[in-house]
Amino acid sequence: MYDDFANPWTIRLKWAYLLAVVFALLMPVFYTIGISFNLHGFGARIYEFTFEWYRVVLGDTLLVISLKWTLYLALATIAATIPMALLSAKFYKRTRRKVAFVALMLSPLFVPADIMGSSLLVFFKNLAKGFAWLGQTLGVGWFDGWFDLGFLTAVIGQIIYTHPYAFIVILITMSRYRVQQTEAARACGANAWQAFWDVEFPQIRVGVFSSCAFVTILSFNEAVRTALLKGGFDTFSNMLVAQMLNIGMSGESYAMAGIMSIVSMIVIGTVIVYTLVRAERLERRARAMAEPVMSD
Amino acid sequence: MTPTTDRGRDLPAPPDRWRRLLGEDGIQKWVFYIPVVFFILFFAAPMALTVVWSVFERTQFWMEPGFTLFAYENFFTSARAENYVLSMLHAAAAVVISFVIGFPIAVFIRRRVTRAAQHRVILLFILPFMISELVRVFAMRPVLGRNGVVNSVLMELGILSEPITVILYSPLGVIIGDVMSFLPFMIFAGFLALEAVQNYIFEVCDDLGTGRVRLFADIVLPLAAPGIFAGSVFIFVNSMGVALVPTLLGGPGAVNAGLIANQAIVALDFPLAMAISTIMIFTLVLLLYIGHRLFDLTKILEPIS
Repeated sequence: MYDDFANPWTIRLKWAYLLAVVFALLMPVFYTIGISFNLHGFGARIYEFTFEWYRVVLGDTLLVISLKWTLYLALATIAATIPMALLSAKFYKRTRRKVAFVALMLSPLFVPADIMGSSLLVFFKNLAKGFAWLGQTLGVGWFDGWFDLGFLTAVIGQIIYTHPYAFIVILITMSRYRVQQTEAARACGANAWQAFWDVEFPQIRVGVFSSCAFVTILSFNEAVRTALLKGGFDTFSNMLVAQMLNIGMSGESYAMAGIMSIVSMIVIGTVIVYTLVRAERLERRARAMAEPVMSD
Repeated sequence: MTPTTDRGRDLPAPPDRWRRLLGEDGIQKWVFYIPVVFFILFFAAPMALTVVWSVFERTQFWMEPGFTLFAYENFFTSARAENYVLSMLHAAAAVVISFVIGFPIAVFIRRRVTRAAQHRVILLFILPFMISELVRVFAMRPVLGRNGVVNSVLMELGILSEPITVILYSPLGVIIGDVMSFLPFMIFAGFLALEAVQNYIFEVCDDLGTGRVRLFADIVLPLAAPGIFAGSVFIFVNSMGVALVPTLLGGPGAVNAGLIANQAIVALDFPLAMAISTIMIFTLVLLLYIGHRLFDLTKILEPIS
């Protein structure tokens, strides 16, 4: 028999290893952010702190427009993905064909961005041609432009990409919910919507809001599928790819990467801190309830 | 039961068709099928149709219905097939390295961290995973480059006399990029699989004095196999298919399946792009099928079912 705790150094060493891996994963990002604040850019011997590169990025009209498009895309993706992920999680709970359903919902995780993007690109092009043909055959103009590459197709691509993550997060939160509570609500006369909104939703709200945050970040960061499906507009990450490939590692590129990292860190950091604080509060409440009431 | 008044007279059932239509046996029931329909229409159908489009005939800017295996012939008789196999080898290396680095972390969190703190420790790995892959891959350039952090530190410490160049714009750079991009997924999948393993199993092993190697090989590994496999497939397929990594870290000549498909799209050779996608999807389905037969991948979802 062995015991990690017999020798405190064993456990310390394991913690050190874990933190070293976290550090290794995060260090390049922080290093990039550090470079983005250096007036002299990457590789310079002198470090002179500046916001100049950020000023250049935020003063570039094209980049600001791309940021706006990124925001619209994220909002549209959230508006569609979160209700769908909720419906999927509810459906998963009640369906008997769980394996087939979950395979369909989680498969997009396993299809690389370029492959999915290429397939959707050809699919939408064919669909647009099909609708154009239908309109011509029927002699009406209603079908013109349906599924032409643009905002709608980019949103569909992002929904397919972000939905599995939102689905998993909501499903994890739902797993802690006792279905008997819904049954009790129904027995008390609530309809399906009331039972969901007044009883179930308050308990899974954290999962829903967390998945909103995840979808925002995933949408904000997504580049490949959007590049193939977006049609005529550019998102911020698409501009960064173009910048990296065409201009290289300029101060502007580092500032753009910095903006993307800082936004992600703020959103995820908020979710993590909120989750931790809430868990602590619930634990404290549970402990207080478990303590016996002492009489005077 | 038939509704009755206070006097006990039977009332006719309300002929409210709208209420029935909008009720729980009407639209409300079918609303739950929206995600299924959406994913069949916009995910399963395009993936399945890639097989059909891959045998279409190429035209100057598009393709037309027909049956030809030219795209496959083009793929298998050119350097693309060789590059595909090479990217499989790189992906396999990324999987092995991710497993060696990441799985012990999953085991450590599950076994040695208190139940209440386990999810908090996992959150540490969410942060790097949620930062754009594009940024994380891009950030590897100033770290691995000739004047980057790795070379500077190693030279500062006197370990190197001159910078090493093999870690960037090389196959090794691609493998490092893949590991840095997808490592957290091995930790998540491993942890999720181990969550389904009850604590008393470890306690029984401890009581019987089972050695570390035997505990790992005979208990942990078989029980966590579905998670390890799912994590491995995710890393393998994405290492093969994400074009960003070889584009930014591989240097000239570095390719993977995703990049080959991308290049075919740029060259307007859509049947070839679809043939590569088909081969990639076939590889993925085959791997998942084998994994499911061997390890029953649904076990990963047991803790949240």
